[in-house]
Amino acid sequence: MCDLLQLKEIFNRKGVLISFNGSLTNSIIEEIGNAIRQYLVDNKHGKGTISDVFAVYIEQTQNVRNYLKISGLEEKYWSTILVISNKDGNYQVSSGNSIRKQDVPTLLARLEQINNLDQAGLKKLYKEQLRKERNPVSLGAGLGLIEIARHAKEKLDYQFDEIDENCDFFSLIVTIQGEPDA
Amino acid sequence: MLDIPATKTSPRIFFSEESKKLKISGESYPENTFAFFEPVFTWLNTELPNYDQVTIEVNIRYMNSSSTKCLLDIMDMLAEAAENGSNISAIWYYDPENERSHEIALEFGEDVSIPFIIKPEDQSGQS
Repeated sequence: MCDLLQLKEIFNRKGVLISFNGSLTNSIIEEIGNAIRQYLVDNKHGKGTISDVFAVYIEQTQNVRNYLKISGLEEKYWSTILVISNKDGNYQVSSGNSIRKQDVPTLLARLEQINNLDQAGLKKLYKEQLRKERNPVSLGAGLGLIEIARHAKEKLDYQFDEIDENCDFFSLIVTIQGEPDA
Repeated sequence: MLDIPATKTSPRIFFSEESKKLKISGESYPENTFAFFEPVFTWLNTELPNYDQVTIEVNIRYMNSSSTKCLLDIMDMLAEAAENGSNISAIWYYDPENERSHEIALEFGEDVSIPFIIKPEDQSGQS
């Protein structure tokens, strides 16, 4: 028998509200998004907080899904972990997915660039990116990570761990303020 | 004829021949955002020169970053029509109970060169 009680205790300790482990399809992104929105409404959160958490969640999950679609990675690498939690009154959206080793330096440079900017700098970078010609290979506009950082309370928390000779595992933890500054 | 029905993750996009209004309303985070907006770009390219007056009305609850990019591209195409002599304006509805919604409206307006009016949605009687 698996240790569900043990798993539950870990979830309780970490304040986990929703977690998903598997291939992130579009309908799963949609359903979890609806669930988290409803949860925040039921817990009497302001619309600003709901917007922030939902925006981070959508950008993060669509980023992962779009990346995996264009990466050409085999299906065994598609499994993604997603965790939404509440820690000390703040929300965290965490995702972990495979990334091809050759794509790590570009992503790392982008994350470092973003973490070195304050809100005004992020806005400027966002607007520059908005005016750039879209990369035809990409499924997004290259705005996702900047958008995430603009909604986050803290710097982006990330880590790369080796899976095998082809891939690393990219973890991204984003913290969002539970309620706007009083 | 432009009338794309709304889904749970994509807005209704409708052009009214009568009022000359291009209305975009609902949620906007479709799976492949650029593919979703493609018919609108096509319509603007082919049909916009036939109208000397168009008002775009946007009332979106949430849009992902790719939708923001697409909406800005739509505004740019409308601005080009305005430069060619058409009477073009934009109305952006925001949720007065959501401070983020107002911030998004204001920031979006900074990048738009056509007349851009920001209104709270409750007073508009629109949904």
